[in-house]
Amino acid sequence: MATKTDVPTPTSGYQLTDKDFRQINIRNLFLFQWGWNYEKMQASGYLYIMLPQLRKIYGDDREGLKKVLKMQDQFFNTSNFFNTIITGIDLALEEKEGTASIDTVAGLKAGLMGPFAAIGDSIFAALIPAIMGAIAANMAVQGNAVGCFLWMAVDFVIMWFRWIQLKFAYKQGVTLVTKMQGTLNALTDAATLLGVFIVGALVATLVNVKVIYVAHIGKMAINFQDKIDMILPKLVPALVVGAIYWMLGRKRMTSTRAIFIVIIVTIALSALGILGPQ
Amino acid sequence: MGSIAWWQIILLTCYSMYQIMDELTLQTSLSQPVWAGLIAGAIMGNMKAGLIIGGSLQLTVLGVGTFGGASKIDANSGTVLATAFSIGAGMNPQTAVAAIGVPVASLMIETDILARFTNTYFQHRVDHMIDKLDFKGIERNYLYGVIPWTLSRGIPVFLALAFGGPFVNTAVKYLNTNLSWLNNGLQTAGGLLPAVGFAILLRYLPVKKHIAYLILGFMITALFSTLFTGLQTLGTGLTTVDSKFTTVFNSLPMLAIALIGLAFAILQYKRDIEKDKVAGAAAATKEEVTETSDEVEGEINGDED
Repeated sequence: MATKTDVPTPTSGYQLTDKDFRQINIRNLFLFQWGWNYEKMQASGYLYIMLPQLRKIYGDDREGLKKVLKMQDQFFNTSNFFNTIITGIDLALEEKEGTASIDTVAGLKAGLMGPFAAIGDSIFAALIPAIMGAIAANMAVQGNAVGCFLWMAVDFVIMWFRWIQLKFAYKQGVTLVTKMQGTLNALTDAATLLGVFIVGALVATLVNVKVIYVAHIGKMAINFQDKIDMILPKLVPALVVGAIYWMLGRKRMTSTRAIFIVIIVTIALSALGILGPQ
Repeated sequence: MGSIAWWQIILLTCYSMYQIMDELTLQTSLSQPVWAGLIAGAIMGNMKAGLIIGGSLQLTVLGVGTFGGASKIDANSGTVLATAFSIGAGMNPQTAVAAIGVPVASLMIETDILARFTNTYFQHRVDHMIDKLDFKGIERNYLYGVIPWTLSRGIPVFLALAFGGPFVNTAVKYLNTNLSWLNNGLQTAGGLLPAVGFAILLRYLPVKKHIAYLILGFMITALFSTLFTGLQTLGTGLTTVDSKFTTVFNSLPMLAIALIGLAFAILQYKRDIEKDKVAGAAAATKEEVTETSDEVEGEINGDED
């Protein structure tokens, strides 16, 4: 290609404005992941939310823009709570260096999507839904809808974070990643600690099962649940969770399969008169 | 009994189609099973039953998040159908959770996979539009992604609601009479299913590292809940013995337990930041040392040359 020896095409010199950030954020909040598919996952979504801005940055350089669009349309998948951080850093680079930054941006996207997926999934896809879900569900099973609204309120706060992070990342640029590493690690550590603690608490309150088996030896009736309570209250729920945890660690075990095994085993134990609802 | 009005079917189908788009984008929590229970319950005219079913299924999938784009069990659609049939056909909510909610939720994994697969068609067209630099075409084909996504929830929910009624009615009659053992078993399973959610969640959390806090969380709650339940039982008993006894004992407030956990988390965060600072300072001094030693080495090499 002749372009290879050419001096990198300069950009149109366009600087992103607050209006641009608003447009990207609206597209991100309402339309990101519409194009999710098995082949390239979030690729087209990543491209779509920044397309108007890319067109402004590259202006009349149609060949350069085409190259950039092709690069942006490559495989991409990360946490949809952090993706605009990558977009922000990316735009700061492209705005300054234009097509000369293509390789850097491609590397940046590939390098950052993994770590952000890990942090984002563990905090926003597992931990917060688990804590808020437990609170909301706990109220819901008693017929109380307040927990649902509480959860929604928390999610709106999270949306606010998703909104402000784009401009923040754009301003900080590439230095952001190294600078925030320590804080992010500490935050993840504290969050997972809270998660583990809460799961412990939930096991003790929300697993409703008890041993209904009563042994008759001569005239004496032995109520097993009473004996178990003397050893440790809530021992049965703890043992059940422990057993399922072990089962999930086995090969070829999926969560869906585990749910069905639990249902079948419980029906059997209930029919035999061993387990019953609390 | 046993019938669901056509407008209820349409509203429930519309909600099912909306919820998957919410899950993909905004995440307002409207796509969660508790909300599905609340909304489906409100549409069916019994919000409380909906909340009970939604709450139970929420607990079942507590730890099941979408990790790296993997399909997850669709407890939302499960809740919609379980709620609709529980209220429409008079099925016990706990039984509906295990008998309808969970099987439907896991069947819907297939349609989720289908949506993620068929969407490649439209996104391939995006590739072609890039070649032509047709910006309108890129945007249009990108947005067509909404079609496979909404249909993947809308079609099965609509078909099940429209044609599943008679089948569920027969099943309910059978469960209540001939198969009471199965009915009891399903109820027990409904109460025990949250255990699966917790176990899955523990698989994704660093349990070994934080094992002490798992024990603390469990034991503090187990002891307090026994205490609080005991007090409540005692209170109720006393009221019946002496009508002058009017003190009401509340159940264990979960928020208090969560705040104890938060306190531990804050301490851990502070320790980590402190450690990071110390490590950072140590690394900085070390770097200086190596830099100077590099220089020294460089000089020696230079001399040898």
